[in-house]
Amino acid sequence: MATVAAAAASARTRRLLPWALLLALLLVAQSMLVALSLHHEHARAQEEADAAAAEAAAALRAELLRSVQSLQSLLWNEPSAQAWRADAAELLRARRDLLRLERRDAALTPTLALDTPLGEPLFVALPRAQLMVDTEVACRAAQRSAAPHFSRSYFVPMQGGLGIEVIDLCLPIAGEGRDRYMVATLALAGVLERALGPAALRHEYSLVEGDGTRLARTGAQRGAGVFRGEQLIALPGTLLQLRADAVEGRPRLIPNLTLALVVGLSVALFALVLLLARDVRRRARAETALAEALAFRKAMEDSLSTGLRARDLAGRITYVNPAFCQMVGFGADELRAAAQPPYWPPEHAAQYARRQQARLDSLREDGPAREGFETVFMRKSGERFPVMIYEAPLVDGGGRHTGWMSAVLDMGAQRRVEELSRQQQERLQIAARLAAVGEMASLLGHELNQPLSAIASYAHGSLNLLEQPDAQTPALLGEALARIAEQAERAGRVIKSVHDYVRRREQAHEPVRADLLLEAVQPLVQLQARKSGTRIELRCPQPPPRVRCDRTMVEQVLLNLTRNAIQAMEHDTPPERRLLQISVLPPQQRRVGFVVADAGAGIADEVRQQLFTPFFTTRSEGMGLGLSLCRSVVEQHGGTLVLETLSAADGGGTTVRFTLPHADGGEPAAPAAPADAATLADAAAPATRRG
Amino acid sequence: MNAASAPLVYLVDDEDVVRDALAWLLRSRRLLAQGCASAEAFEALLDALPAGVDWPRAPACLLLDVRMPGTSGLVLFERLVERGLTQRLPVIFLTGHGDVPMAVAAVKRGAFDFVEKPFAGNALVDRIEQALAASAQAIAARAEWRRVADALAELTERERAVLRLIVAGRPNKLIADALDISVRTVEVHRARIFDKMGVKSAVELANRLREHQAAPGSGAR
Repeated sequence: MATVAAAAASARTRRLLPWALLLALLLVAQSMLVALSLHHEHARAQEEADAAAAEAAAALRAELLRSVQSLQSLLWNEPSAQAWRADAAELLRARRDLLRLERRDAALTPTLALDTPLGEPLFVALPRAQLMVDTEVACRAAQRSAAPHFSRSYFVPMQGGLGIEVIDLCLPIAGEGRDRYMVATLALAGVLERALGPAALRHEYSLVEGDGTRLARTGAQRGAGVFRGEQLIALPGTLLQLRADAVEGRPRLIPNLTLALVVGLSVALFALVLLLARDVRRRARAETALAEALAFRKAMEDSLSTGLRARDLAGRITYVNPAFCQMVGFGADELRAAAQPPYWPPEHAAQYARRQQARLDSLREDGPAREGFETVFMRKSGERFPVMIYEAPLVDGGGRHTGWMSAVLDMGAQRRVEELSRQQQERLQIAARLAAVGEMASLLGHELNQPLSAIASYAHGSLNLLEQPDAQTPALLGEALARIAEQAERAGRVIKSVHDYVRRREQAHEPVRADLLLEAVQPLVQLQARKSGTRIELRCPQPPPRVRCDRTMVEQVLLNLTRNAIQAMEHDTPPERRLLQISVLPPQQRRVGFVVADAGAGIADEVRQQLFTPFFTTRSEGMGLGLSLCRSVVEQHGGTLVLETLSAADGGGTTVRFTLPHADGGEPAAPAAPADAATLADAAAPATRRG
Repeated sequence: MNAASAPLVYLVDDEDVVRDALAWLLRSRRLLAQGCASAEAFEALLDALPAGVDWPRAPACLLLDVRMPGTSGLVLFERLVERGLTQRLPVIFLTGHGDVPMAVAAVKRGAFDFVEKPFAGNALVDRIEQALAASAQAIAARAEWRRVADALAELTERERAVLRLIVAGRPNKLIADALDISVRTVEVHRARIFDKMGVKSAVELANRLREHQAAPGSGAR
């Protein structure tokens, strides 16, 4: 048991393992995806920040160089102080970042200074002289290189505690004038703003010092401080550090998770679709197999010659196969719709209903019956036929008992075969008997022919001799006459032997109980009766009388009479009236009466006249020996056979009575007197009318 | 009328009484009878005859019982038909009860007649006499046939060729042309043929040959 459990567990593990692996793989793939996308985004943002920084640095440098150029343009052609002043004022108005312009002499003393008209003048809180160090350094450098030079940036405090970071640009003035330098003070923030403009929204741009102190800023409100690009801007005289700080912060996990989820779901969906497709294929295969199985079963049911019938617990028909429909002649729908099976003969319907109930009850208790039972069904045409039914309970898929399934065999065909073979047998017997009779007649003829031929020859020869008699004639005639006498004797012996044979037959009579005679013929009679649906009533007094008879012959008589009776009712009598009565009457005057009565149409008078004539028959198949033979047999036994047709008032039909000697009543009287028969007929009459 | 040419009636019946009675009856009508107790006995009698000689020489007939133990009358009759004897030895069947259809069939096959037992004596003898007459006729025809056959056998090959052309109705000239011989030779052959065949004209010759060919069955023995 343990190994079985282990085996089951390992089987389950084996089955689950691929799924677990698949899931793990999916998870790893998803994590990788998330990590990679995060990394990618990170790199992209960093690159963007770097690019932005480089771009901004280039723009700033260009801007500063443009400023240098525009400032240089102030000095072109050595303008007079007046002209410079006008130009400078205009420039200051035009450029917001330009805060102050100064002209200085060789000793760096300002000779002329103009402040921007757009804002407060610089150097109010603190005089210019105190903030000259960087300017001076720049001017000296400019002097030396004879090129514009920037100073380091420095902070100019303003009124109100605020201040502004500025940078000075010192341009050496060429020529013979007093002033040797022009100093422009630029606001770093203004320069920055001017260079980058309002477009820079994705990053915060700032100029910082080496230690990170921010000097001026522009662009987006505030960088996230995660992705930063820094760029150094080398200017003559100074070095500016520009930093671009991306607005976007760290790449967030959630959007990437969503992406992963979507991908994962897609994968799962795809897998599901695959599974579904496989399932659909499998289902289709199963459906095909099922349809084939159904077709197979249907063909099987259709090909069956056995009728199948299913009924629910209430006895209503739920299913019939074609063989059953064909058998009873009703359609399947008709059968299902009917409350009571239409193939029940109306005369038996009540009995069948009771029987069915009883049978179903017993089947429910005892389980399916192995042996079938036999009954009679009716075809649509009204024809009755015997069937054999085997029943078994019908159990549905849930194990519930839902009804009854029966196999119905049409015994009619079998009966017909039986009947046919019986008739064949009878005919053969008759033929054999006739052949025997013929053979005997032939033998007899041969036996008699020889002496007769010889006699004729001798006689004719003698006559010939007498025509021309001579001396030898008397002797010859004597010889011939002796031969004639001899042959005549021989013929006599032949005839005597036939007599002996008949006498031996008579000695075969034995006492037989009357009921045994009836029992002996009963199976054959029933076989015939069943075919036409005739009921049989047997009646015999108790104790049964014994009759002295040749048993075989009397049985033949009974068979002949009952067959006549059944055939008389076969066509014109309605089925419910088909009743055959066979009665034995109590012994009277050392005779036992037998009565065979039918309910047929009776016998017409003109037929009656010829009834006992040998070879007269009203049937196409008949031999015409039946009744005359019966009478011969009965008379051989010293009895009588009478036949009467009842009037319609008495129920109609034909009654045949015959008598046989009573075995216990001493020696039977020799051939019965007519009066005897009449008494018997009267005695029998009440008994017959009873039925 | 010597013994060899006197008519003879053969009786084949298993019943001694019947044979005896019939012999007695025939004797009363001056006819000779010879009895056989069975078909086998009669056949033995036939087999004992010398071969190559036509039999019977004198008119004869056979009274044959249909139903006999051993070989039945019908079987014997079939054997006689095979031997080609039924013309010269007419067969009258004696039938018992129920054998009539068989006897009728036998008559169709060439039996002379059948008589049902018990028979009327003299009527039967009358019928026997008719049979004997038929027998005599058949024997004469047989003798004639034998004579022609012998004559034909005596002809040479050339004569037979000439004979065929004569019977076909060709004149001598054409016969000579057909056989590539002279007319004179044909005439010699012709005379010799007529002589051997015992005829005087071509017409007579043709008739004789036609009769001979019309009855080939009677020459089996």
